[in-house]
Formats: sequence, structure tokens, C-alpha cells
Amino acid sequence: MPLTTHPRRTPPATATKAPRRAFVALCFLLLAGEAAAWSLSIGAATRRVYLHVGNGTAEGNNGTINLVSVTVPAAALIAGGAQAMTTNSTQSNSLSGDNFATCPTPASQILIGASYRRSNAGNGPASATLTVTSPANLTNAAGDTIPFSEISWTVSAPGSPVPGVIPAGTFNGGTQTLATVPANTFIENCHTFTYANSAIRAAGTYNGRVTYTLTSP
Amino acid sequence: MTHAAWIRMAGAVLAALLAGGVVNAAGAPSAQRLDDSLSHTVPPNVQLQWRPLPPSAGAALSMEGWVRVNVRIDTAPVAGRPGRVYMVLPPEQRGLELVWTSQGRLQAGRLTPGERALVYSGVLGAGLLEDQITVRLRASPDWDSPTRRLNVHFEWQPD
Repeated sequence: MPLTTHPRRTPPATATKAPRRAFVALCFLLLAGEAAAWSLSIGAATRRVYLHVGNGTAEGNNGTINLVSVTVPAAALIAGGAQAMTTNSTQSNSLSGDNFATCPTPASQILIGASYRRSNAGNGPASATLTVTSPANLTNAAGDTIPFSEISWTVSAPGSPVPGVIPAGTFNGGTQTLATVPANTFIENCHTFTYANSAIRAAGTYNGRVTYTLTSP
Repeated sequence: MTHAAWIRMAGAVLAALLAGGVVNAAGAPSAQRLDDSLSHTVPPNVQLQWRPLPPSAGAALSMEGWVRVNVRIDTAPVAGRPGRVYMVLPPEQRGLELVWTSQGRLQAGRLTPGERALVYSGVLGAGLLEDQITVRLRASPDWDSPTRRLNVHFEWQPD
């Protein structure tokens, strides 16, 4: 009787060894897939708020306090009528990084820019808040006063789709919320100030300081 | 073990390898990962800094850092065979971008998650493929924690 009587139960030796060799070779390839790689621990940039009002420095501190002023002519004192104010600011270009001329006439504008950065949702609140605080009055050397509410501002930002991102307003002698700055955004526009000149005041130079603050608790 | 059992086991392993991309559907070897465990970075960790953020720009890739990598790839498993070496940034490394220059042994390039970039083409020797690359690393501020691990590896593809 030929030896091929039970071909399914007793396959040729070569047929039984072939799958074993394949298995060994495939296992080698699988192990080769575990090779090491270069690896690096990276730390996220730290949470940060940035604000500049008038002259500022990109990514840095700047102690400049700009002056916004108006000299009211005698005739205007009698006649009344709002008076445009000027500034000593020279900050025309954005400090956000694109150097765009956001405030083309800084002699009558104050450029305000604010940003809030965080690396992840657990790294602080979703936004920061921009406020401005003004005293109740401007005062002169004699102690005469003018309510700060006599000063208001309009806003602009040529070329921006959101020129009013920080809205226009009037100082109220207290703290006002101006804008919410979402995480990882930079907002900016130009503020042009006006003195209402709604009443006759005693002669003198009246001063007052407003303070802008960007906070993220 | 019976013949049928061997066939079933080999088939299962082959299926696993196909799923892992070690061999392609035609049965030919595809990309093979190379060992570069001798590579190291200088410094061993890096602190990212914020990049400028213009109002018109999104926050993507707004953090940046630099690192040098002394690359040492063991090419012994593929020595003498024509092929290409790629640097690979796995897809799970989301929100990252790597741009690097080299000293000339490896090619300069750019990688984003899920991509691989050609760094060498030709026949490799049995020793180490070495170079020092300078990597500019950028990341989007969408992390899950203040720190994370960057893992990059190399793979070889036969011509």
C-alpha cells in the first residue's frame, strides 16, 4: 500500500515545518517594532497676562504714563461744546507681534492692547478681565474739581473686523469693566478722548490719573 | 501542534503584524522601526515660551522652544540594504510641530503629528547613523497638563 493512505493526518515533513519557520520570522519582526526612540519632557509656557496703555514694550515692562490733555480756549468756556483731547503718546504700531499701525495718529490716540495666555484648561480661568479705574474728580492746585465723568472716549482700529473690541465709554469715577479677554487672544484698539466742557470751571490745571488693569484670578 | 493549528497561529500573528504596519498587505516588509536608544537631547527637558500673538492670528502653535538632539540610530538590522530612514511623529502627539536643521548627515525637515519625514536615503552601514539636529518645537496651548512627553522615533523603509 502506498504511503499516501493518510495524507491529511500525516502531511509531509516540509509542510509541517514551513508554518513554524514563518511564525519564528514574524515574531522577530514583532519584537523589532519595540525599538527605542528619542524622548523629551516639555513644559508648557507659564500663564501670563500682558497689558499696555499708550507707549509700551512688547513682551516687557514699560513704566511710561502717558498724558492726555486739553487746553480749553476762553471762548469755548463761555460757549461750551466738547473739546478733543490730545496725547503725548507715540505708540502707533501694535505690540502684538504684527507691528500693524493700529493707531495712525497717536497724538490724538492711546493704543491699548491686552492678551491672556494659558497652556491648558486647568491652567487658570477661560478669560481675563480688563478694567479701568478713575477717581471721582480731576483737581487743581486750589482744590477745585471737575468730575471725571466729563471725559469720554471713542474707539477705532483701522482694518480690524472688531474695532470696538474694547468699547467706547465715559469714566464714572470708579472701576469699570471694559472687556473680557478670552484665553490665548490679543485684543487692541485706539482710544480718542473728549472733554465734555459742560460747565464753566475755575481757572487752573486739573489733573487726575486713570489706571487700566488686566486681571485673571 | 497540528498543521492546522500552526496555520491558524501564523495567520493570527500575520494579522496582528498587518494591523501594526510591520508588513504590508502584499506580505512584503513595510517600515521597520529602528533603535535609537543611544540618542539624547540637550537639554534633557525644555521649557516652552510664548510666541507673539497678533490679533488676527489663532493660538495654534503659539508656544515655542528649542532643543538639540544627538541622534544615534542603530542601523545594523538593515545594513547593506538600500532604503530610506524616516523620522516619525506619532499621531497622538497632537498640537505639535517640529522643524529641524542638521549637520548634514541627516536631512533637515518638518514634522506634524501623524507624519514622517525623510532624513536619509541610501545603503546604510552596520554601525550608527549619527548627526546632531537642532529642533524648533512649537505647540498649541491645548494641553491636558503643564508638562508632556515628546516621543519621536525613526523607521526604515526598503526601496
